[in-house]
Amino acid sequence: MLSGLFSRSAARAADFSHLEHASVEFRNVVKRYGDHQVLNGINFTVAPGEVVAILGPSGSGKSTMIRLINQLESLNGGDILIDNKPTRALTGTALRQLRSRVGFVFQQFNLYAHLSASENISLALEKVHGWTPPLAQARALALLEHVGMVEKAQHYPAQLSGGQQQRVAIARALASSPQIILFDEPTSALDPEMIGEVLQVMKSLAHSGITMIVVTHEMQFAREIADRVVFIDGGEILETAPPAQFFQHPEHPRTRRFLQKVLNPLHQEQP
Amino acid sequence: MPALDWQGVLTGQPVQWILSGFLTTLWVTLAGIIIASSLAILFLLLRTAGGKTGNIVVSVWVSLFRNTPLLVQLLFWYFAAWNWLPFTLRDYINSEHTWSILPGDVWWFTPEFLCSAWGLGVFTSAFLVEEIESGLQAVSRGQRQAALAQGFSSWQIFRFILLPQGLAHAWQPVVGQYLNLMKLSSLASGIGFAELTYQVRQIESYNAHALEAFTVGTVLYLLTGVFMGLMLGKLGPSCTKRIQRAPKITIATGSENA
Repeated sequence: MLSGLFSRSAARAADFSHLEHASVEFRNVVKRYGDHQVLNGINFTVAPGEVVAILGPSGSGKSTMIRLINQLESLNGGDILIDNKPTRALTGTALRQLRSRVGFVFQQFNLYAHLSASENISLALEKVHGWTPPLAQARALALLEHVGMVEKAQHYPAQLSGGQQQRVAIARALASSPQIILFDEPTSALDPEMIGEVLQVMKSLAHSGITMIVVTHEMQFAREIADRVVFIDGGEILETAPPAQFFQHPEHPRTRRFLQKVLNPLHQEQP
Repeated sequence: MPALDWQGVLTGQPVQWILSGFLTTLWVTLAGIIIASSLAILFLLLRTAGGKTGNIVVSVWVSLFRNTPLLVQLLFWYFAAWNWLPFTLRDYINSEHTWSILPGDVWWFTPEFLCSAWGLGVFTSAFLVEEIESGLQAVSRGQRQAALAQGFSSWQIFRFILLPQGLAHAWQPVVGQYLNLMKLSSLASGIGFAELTYQVRQIESYNAHALEAFTVGTVLYLLTGVFMGLMLGKLGPSCTKRIQRAPKITIATGSENA
């Protein structure tokens, strides 16, 4: 009845402690909420170290797609392979271990409200990965330095701007040195002026070896930083292409309409 | 109005009784708070991680102890449940244990103390469960998701993320329950537990100084309540304290938008 409640460290069991290939493969992935089909049989592979931007209209299933990777949502069909190993059947310690090795950045930041910026980072290092407090603290400060937030280490989330919170959240996601990091619309909740500072941090991360999957509405990020752009609508992948090709020669009519509306909202055909 | 004779309660045997009763009240309050808090945490865990069975157990516990009079519960523990304990254990508790003397000459390893502390703790835990639960509900869903995504276990999420925030939200009602426990300990006089109310009534039958004795008793309850309320409010977790505690406050949103 209380299984999984009292087992402590997720990092000790063997399976996902180190990924040989930080690849992510969707195989016939199906997700439903009740009668509503969100993803209808997605097939898609992300190579290790690749930066993939997922674009699509609201409600297209793009956030669901990455939330399935670390099982914040559960699959209804198919499987997701990480490091060429199926993950659907994972539970308990093995699942927590996988999650601890995959960074996740939320749209709403979700920093722990009762902890300071540095405590937000060190908590999982101490409790999940078994680091000593001084080591975890040093690592937290190093990561905050990396995202330009070291002066705010003692501040609580409520004292930080949205952009600053999101930078701390990225540092937190990087704490366990994950080989895969997932971004769920990381700039959508930000004031326009603060989007830049977050994108800069993400840019510095791209092509450093970490596999990045980014759900975003930032066309500039997709165009300049992503290796590949995936366009998804109605629960299906309609187009996958390198950014240059995607933005200049979109193939699917739906992609063209989407790009037209997003890139040039004032000059579009009347419906 | 008859002239008040304070000498009748503040000297000799009566003042001894009052002091002893007062300290007994303080000790049983402390024990009751510890029992109530531990039980509340246990049942909250059972509700979060115990599935259907756990949920039913907690619901039964809460409705049973919230909807019956505390005096009846105390009488039940002392006169009924007590007899279900193994005879050797009862016999052991009934004998004298000098090691159980708390400062102020309060013996805690006695049937009366144990039943009172347990009864008060159980009764209060039923209220605490629901109040802390509502505090936990106020913690945003994203907090839990972030912790899940980092690989925390259910117990760790509860202990390190949800409980500290839930307690901060629910702290004022929780302090209210602790104060209630202190005041309700007076009902334990009903099972012959020699706390403050019991001793005050004893003075009344000893020298008929009812008015003076009850006045002193009331004042002691009042002072304890005010002091406890202040201390718990100061020491407890709170949402606003987070802001005050951090060094040099710069609310960055304001300056960056300016």
